[in-house]
Amino acid sequence: MNKKSKITFYLFSLLGLILITQVLYLNSSKSMSADAKEKKVLFVGLTGLPDLAFSSQSSYIRHRSLSMTSDIYSLDGCLREYDSATYVIANSKIVSKTNE
Amino acid sequence: MSSKINVYLIEYALGSIIRQGHKSLFITIVFTFLTALLTSIFFITNSIKYELNTTVDALPQIIVQQTKASRVTEVDISITDKLLDIPGITSVNARVWGYYYFANAGVNFTLIGIDEFEEQYSDTLEGIVKKGELNSSGMVIGSGVRKIMNSSYYKDYFNFIKPDGKIKKVEILGQFESDIELESNDMIVMSKDTLREIFGIEESKATDIVVKVANLEEVGTVALKIEQMFPNARVITNDDMKLSYENIFNYKSGIFLALFVIAIFTFFIIIYDKMSGLSSEQKREVGILKAIGWRVEDVLKEKFYESLILSLFAYILGVILALAYVYIFNAPLLRDIFIGYSDLKPTFEISFILDFQTLFLVFFLSVPIYVAATIIPSWKVATLEADDVIR
Repeated sequence: MNKKSKITFYLFSLLGLILITQVLYLNSSKSMSADAKEKKVLFVGLTGLPDLAFSSQSSYIRHRSLSMTSDIYSLDGCLREYDSATYVIANSKIVSKTNE
Repeated sequence: MSSKINVYLIEYALGSIIRQGHKSLFITIVFTFLTALLTSIFFITNSIKYELNTTVDALPQIIVQQTKASRVTEVDISITDKLLDIPGITSVNARVWGYYYFANAGVNFTLIGIDEFEEQYSDTLEGIVKKGELNSSGMVIGSGVRKIMNSSYYKDYFNFIKPDGKIKKVEILGQFESDIELESNDMIVMSKDTLREIFGIEESKATDIVVKVANLEEVGTVALKIEQMFPNARVITNDDMKLSYENIFNYKSGIFLALFVIAIFTFFIIIYDKMSGLSSEQKREVGILKAIGWRVEDVLKEKFYESLILSLFAYILGVILALAYVYIFNAPLLRDIFIGYSDLKPTFEISFILDFQTLFLVFFLSVPIYVAATIIPSWKVATLEADDVIR
């Protein structure tokens, strides 16, 4: 093995080591603990509301199934018609604006 | 043919990579960036899916809403008795919940009413609430709601404006634990009676009805029966929600994939352009190698090692960067596409999931293709006579 090969070998070993360390670190610190999982299940069981809170104002995620979606979220007709055709029947504010 | 790894060929390949300095560097950067981008998208999507799938089984099996003129309206509580007559249904619960728009901050809170903090709920709440004694006159709030309320100087209570314009003061009893922030950030849980007062919902009405079925296999049949019994009702089963989740995330990651397809095609065009028209210098190199006795397979092996070292290095680096970007730095920029524009954003800390499927997918989408795009044009040149190539 010449110098270049050695450097490459060490470089790949280093990358592998970083990857493994990173995965181990993330697995220990960022993965969902059994306790947290239980709490999540308890909470969702209590409220019965689906979806995640980070999308509370996103038309495509939060509680689309459970509210007056046509009013609150103009893009979605209802849960079962989640495709592009749904937008056609939605109250489009964009269309209204372009017609003005 | 011997399948032994020829170290000398690897050394030559390394030398070749270094000789092509800038070109190799450029390809590595583009390759790393593309791998990191694609892997990040899959990591985010998978983690969110995992988060949702963790709780999806805790969701109600069937939700019944009332519609009028295709609009969702309040449901009459009296239909709960009729629902209980359907064989297979074990319990029916009329829920009261809704959104409260807090104009001062421009956000929607999600208000949920539970039965007077009954014992069963108290136990559950104690498990997930950070502090505070629970009673029927107060509420428990999510951390996002707490921040918004604090910014408006509501520390111990909040004044809800009722439909008649009067104020309903509700005491803040506690806050949900940070472990469930992704689920509870915008939530306020209080007693059903207080909620009815805030929303102006009559005693005989509810927002929707949750139905529990004893046998999971019968959920579909029971849903069908409810639909037949109440033609105006919208019946949503747990499976519908799961399907909806799939749609949402396929759609969202589809947007990314469309972008990625454009990017990767550009990448392939660059590779193809680079390799199909091997520069005269590279052609001469192959010619000389052949002239000094290299066989076609030696040339191909050398090109294989060269491309594999480059692409594997970029791939591993890309995965490392993607892991750090998504799980350590919480995916700045990309997360905005998933979390929307609300001021009630929770900290976007998604759970780490090591998804081998994603890693294999990205690997096979990038490394073998790059290797093939390198070897094929080299093979074309290597099969020519040495003097033809040099000339």
